Amino acid sequence: MIIEALEVVFLFSTAVIIAYLVRHYVFTLTVLRRTSKARSNVAVDAKYEPTVSILIPARDEEQVIGRLLQRMTELTYPNDKLQIITINDASSDSTGRIADEYAHRYAFIEVLHRGFGNGGKGKAAAMNSGFERSTGEIVLCFDADYYPQRDIVEKLVKEFVDPAVGAVQGRPVVLNEAQNVVTRLVTLERIGGYRVDQEARDNLGLIPQFGGTVGGFRRSVLEKLGGFDESMLTEDTDLTFQVYLAGFKVRYVGDAECYEEAVDNWKAYWRQRHRWARGHMQVCFKHALNVLRSKKLNIKKKIDGLLLLHVYFMPVLTLVSFFSGVSLILSQSSQLVNAVWFFVPVSFYSVVGNFAPFFEISIGAYLDGRTRIQWLIPLLLFSYLYNILICTKAFLDLFAAKMLRKSQSDWAKTRHLGNGNGYIVN
Amino acid sequence: MIPNLTSIITILIVATPVLILILFLPAIIELKKPKDRGPWMIMAEIPAVTLSSIHAIAITNMEYEQKFDSSLIQPMAKIIAVLPSLEI
Repeated sequence: MIIEALEVVFLFSTAVIIAYLVRHYVFTLTVLRRTSKARSNVAVDAKYEPTVSILIPARDEEQVIGRLLQRMTELTYPNDKLQIITINDASSDSTGRIADEYAHRYAFIEVLHRGFGNGGKGKAAAMNSGFERSTGEIVLCFDADYYPQRDIVEKLVKEFVDPAVGAVQGRPVVLNEAQNVVTRLVTLERIGGYRVDQEARDNLGLIPQFGGTVGGFRRSVLEKLGGFDESMLTEDTDLTFQVYLAGFKVRYVGDAECYEEAVDNWKAYWRQRHRWARGHMQVCFKHALNVLRSKKLNIKKKIDGLLLLHVYFMPVLTLVSFFSGVSLILSQSSQLVNAVWFFVPVSFYSVVGNFAPFFEISIGAYLDGRTRIQWLIPLLLFSYLYNILICTKAFLDLFAAKMLRKSQSDWAKTRHLGNGNGYIVN
Repeated sequence: MIPNLTSIITILIVATPVLILILFLPAIIELKKPKDRGPWMIMAEIPAVTLSSIHAIAITNMEYEQKFDSSLIQPMAKIIAVLPSLEI
C-alpha cells in the first residue's frame, strides 16, 4: 500500500515537473525566435500623454530615496502631467526629511507621511494610501531603491493607448551586480525571469506578471478592483490576477529598463524570497479556482495562470519527488523501479530547469550579449537548493498560519544600504 | 537493473570530483577574474557609449575602405597604363 502511494506521488510530481520543463522550453524558444504575433495592433498615438502619478513607497530608505527622487526630477515626461508621491511609511530614519526637501524644491513632488499609528503595515497599505492621494489617469510605482531610465514613463504609458491594458511591467536590471556572488546570481535570475520569461508570456499572449515596481496600472481599473488587497504579502501578483479576471491584460515592456539594488547577502535573500514565496502561495490559494472558472480567460491563459500560481510550490514538489523516488529505489519492491532509473535524471534535470531555469537564463544572457556571465550559471544550483529550503519553510509557515488562523501579512522588508550608488555614473 | 553497491561507490568517488571540476571551474574563473561586461547598461545611458562605438566603427570602416580602394586602384592603374591610348 505504501509502495503504491509512493508510486502515485512520484509519478504525479514527475509529470508536473515535466510540464514546467516544457513550459521553460516553449518560453525560451519563443524569445529566441522573437515571435511577436500577439503584439497589440493598436496604433501608438504619439501625442498620447495622460496625467501620470508615480507612487514611491519608502520605509527607512534614507540611503537610496534621494537618488530616486533626483532621478524623478530628470524624467523626460512633461512635469505638468506628472505627480510624484513619496509615501514615507513610518520611517525612523531621515527618509521623510529628504523627501520633504525635494517636495519643497519641486512642485510636482509630494510627500505623504504615515506615522507609527497607521503606517508600517506593509507595502499594500502604503500603496493604497498613496493611491487615494494620486490624481493621474495612469499610476506607476517604483520601489525606493530603483533608478529608472529618463524616458521610462513614456515607454510604460504608451501601452495604455490600448483600452484593454490594465497594467504594465518594465524590466528591472541589477545595479550592484559586481558587488559579490549573491548579486551576480540574482542578476542571472532576473535575466531569466524578465528577458525570457516575461517577454515570452507577452509574445504568446499569456499572463505577464505585474511586479509591483517598474510598472503601473490604469486608475479606473484599480478603482474598479477596490485597490490593493492589504492581506496579501505579494500584492503585485494578486493585482496581476485580479486584472486578468476582470477582463483586462498586463503588458510587458522589455525596453523600459530600471536599475534595482539587489539583495547582497544570503540572509537578506532568504527574507526576500521567503516573503515572495509565502505571498505567491497566498495568491495561489485565493485565485487558483477563480482562474479555472473564469470565462474571461482562454485555455492558454488558464494553463499559464495555473502554472504561474503554483510556481513556488515547485521546489517543495521537487523535494517530495526526490524522496519518493529514492524511497522507491531503496525499497526495490516497486514495479516502477526500472522506470525510476529513467525518471530520476529526467526529474533532476527538469528540477534544475524550474525555479532557476538555467536554459532560460543562458538564452537571456545570450540575447543581452553577455556570454561570459553564463559561466556563473552552474552556481545557480546552490541558490536553487537554497530556494527549496526557502519555499518549503514558506509553505510550512503558511500552513501553520492557516491552522492557527494567524495573520499572514507581516511584511519582512528588504533593507537597502545604497550599495548601488557607486555604480551610477552621471 | 540496479548496479551493486561497490560499483556505485567507485563511480561516485571517481566521478564526483571530475563532475565538480567540469561544472564549477568556469564559474570559479569568472568569479576570480570577471570578464563579463556587466552590469547591463540601461538603454537611456547607452546612447553616448553607442555613439562613440559607432563612430569608432565608422572610422575603422572608412580606413578599411580606403586601403581596399588603394589596393584596387593601383593594379587597375597599371592595367590602364599598358592599354593603347584611344585618344586620336
